[in-house]
Amino acid sequence: EEAELVEVEPESKQEILENKDVVVQHVHFDGLGRTKNEIIMYEIADVFKARNLIDVMRKSHEAREKLLRLGIFRQVDVLIDTCQGDDALPNGLDVTFEVTELRRLTGSYNTMVGNNEGSMVLGLKFPNLFGRAEKVTFQFSYGTKETSYGLSFFKPRPGSFEKNLSVNIYKVTGQFPWSSLRETDRGISTEFNFPIWKTNHTLKWEGVWRELGCLARTASFSVREESGHSLKSSISHAMVIDSRNSSILPKRGALLKINQELAGYAGGDVSFLKEDFEFQLNKQIFWDSVISASLWGGMLVPIGDKPSSIADRFYLGGPTSVRGFSMYSIGPQSEGDYLGGEAFWAGGLHLYTPLPFRPGQGGFGDLFRTHFFLNAGNLCNLNYGEGPRAHLQRLAECIRWSYGAGIVLRLGNIARLELNYCFPMGVQAGDRICDGVQFGAGIRFL
Amino acid sequence: AEPWPENAALYQQLKEEQILLSDNASSLAVQAFLQMCNLPIRVICRANAEYMSPSGKVPFIHVGNQVVSELGPIVQFVKAKGHSLSDGLDEVQKAEMKAYMELVNNMLLTAELYLQWCDDVTVEEITYPRYGSPYPWPLNRILSYQKQWEVRRKMKAIGWAGKTLEQVLEDVDQCCHALSQRLGTQPYFFNKQPTELDALVFGHLFTILTTQLITDELSEKVKNYSNLTAFCRRIEQQYFEGHEKD
Repeated sequence: EEAELVEVEPESKQEILENKDVVVQHVHFDGLGRTKNEIIMYEIADVFKARNLIDVMRKSHEAREKLLRLGIFRQVDVLIDTCQGDDALPNGLDVTFEVTELRRLTGSYNTMVGNNEGSMVLGLKFPNLFGRAEKVTFQFSYGTKETSYGLSFFKPRPGSFEKNLSVNIYKVTGQFPWSSLRETDRGISTEFNFPIWKTNHTLKWEGVWRELGCLARTASFSVREESGHSLKSSISHAMVIDSRNSSILPKRGALLKINQELAGYAGGDVSFLKEDFEFQLNKQIFWDSVISASLWGGMLVPIGDKPSSIADRFYLGGPTSVRGFSMYSIGPQSEGDYLGGEAFWAGGLHLYTPLPFRPGQGGFGDLFRTHFFLNAGNLCNLNYGEGPRAHLQRLAECIRWSYGAGIVLRLGNIARLELNYCFPMGVQAGDRICDGVQFGAGIRFL
Repeated sequence: AEPWPENAALYQQLKEEQILLSDNASSLAVQAFLQMCNLPIRVICRANAEYMSPSGKVPFIHVGNQVVSELGPIVQFVKAKGHSLSDGLDEVQKAEMKAYMELVNNMLLTAELYLQWCDDVTVEEITYPRYGSPYPWPLNRILSYQKQWEVRRKMKAIGWAGKTLEQVLEDVDQCCHALSQRLGTQPYFFNKQPTELDALVFGHLFTILTTQLITDELSEKVKNYSNLTAFCRRIEQQYFEGHEKD
């Protein structure tokens, strides 16, 4: 197999390079302005190691991808040419990267889909602020359930973009009608991301001033008792391993996310240890169908004698959680307001198949899937004096579960819409169900 | 109407460390009123009582399923349940009672708020430490500043921002003078039976007399009127002796 590269230049002869050994002598950069040289050096270091033409092309392409992921260039073009000049070797090559840096200030307007909510997001970004791919972003988001704004500073480590640090200051106001609760969080957080082998880790410190209030005059007294201010200062660690081919409707691969949070040891008046995990496994079976299993769980252990806060507890139920039940309407409640629980588990088993008779195959029809599901879960408070055996027993009693079928629509690689017909079972007194047709939109589904 | 339940509760801030003069006075007024109506109530102290209240002001009562805050609405609520202290008054007296209650709220209560939040020495040494005491740093500071800003804004709106402490104490003196004149030698403001006005006046005057501030100037203004101090002692003995007292 011979590869040919034909370069035509004014006033010079044609050179035909076959697939033979070459040496990359120079790498040029056109278009660098404020970007500092060091960060560029790391990303293109591999290009110098290429030994033949195919290798040069491949390594140049990889370098281009690496440069683009820094988020500082609008465009990166690669030119490979023979070396000219006095010190040119007969098999020497010059690689030139022609880059266009992003403007100093960019604005953006997006719409975002969260879990059963939508929002408008306006952003102002200062990319590549000091020349080493630092980024300052200001974002304002107005949504159906939440309004927020925030300022964040992001700095990657030169040479390893996946190791990065970000500092955020934010204010978020949320409304939770299932609990008749209104929450305003003003906080500052510092986050450090780093990969270890195949896993991604995040270490974060967060200080939040939380203000809770009743959403309506008719809120239950249990929610009214939680109104007021508190300060949470917590350290958390999260680990993610994701081998799926896509996060929305994956065909294969697995996801494991483990998250722990310890609050109260660096100030604040909220003290707890919180663990939660998320596991998903996908496998493609006959006829383009995919079987998917997922398991979620979590536990909140208050430290000291103060009870847990409604803002820290877990919630269960809804079109993105245990289907067939209303949004977050499972578990402990008081006068119709759901108070959340300190421990939960939830599991789902799904079968996704292409639409029957495959309408629109190869085009629009591929975005849809039919969907058969079985969901189950439980949410309760634990009396931590009792011991693990009693806890497991409590979580195994009164399991809520549901089954059904429906249609799933994939929105790009960002979100998914579901329309299901659900049969909720194991309904306990106090749960609110949504039997029959249920619609859901979001990014994270059980 | 439902009968008065046994587990009726009144919520206020923490008594020892947190509650301020004005809130203590308002809470005591409601407690006195309920005692005069012979309606039993438990006092529950919570650090977040102010934020639990539907109107943002303490005290509030939790009776059955209802939550009612501040003396005025509580009097109405209790009346709807069939208990009232002012039923025996005629229209003229009722109007007079309302007028004097307005006087106490506009003069005495505002003076208390002024002293707590606008007098720099009191603010630094008493109000800031007490108001933020249940909260960790820096939340204690943030909440105190936020509340002070709110009170100062209200003072500006009613024209008290420009007053000096001496002028405020003068206003307190005038108010006490008016109350003393109206009370005269009677046991209660409307002779034989106490009304919500008596509860309100007792709440404020008793709290002023028994709260230790930077100086005694405020309590001295009240002590000048001997019938008022006797009135406070009388109500304390009649309705609060033998119960949990301040």
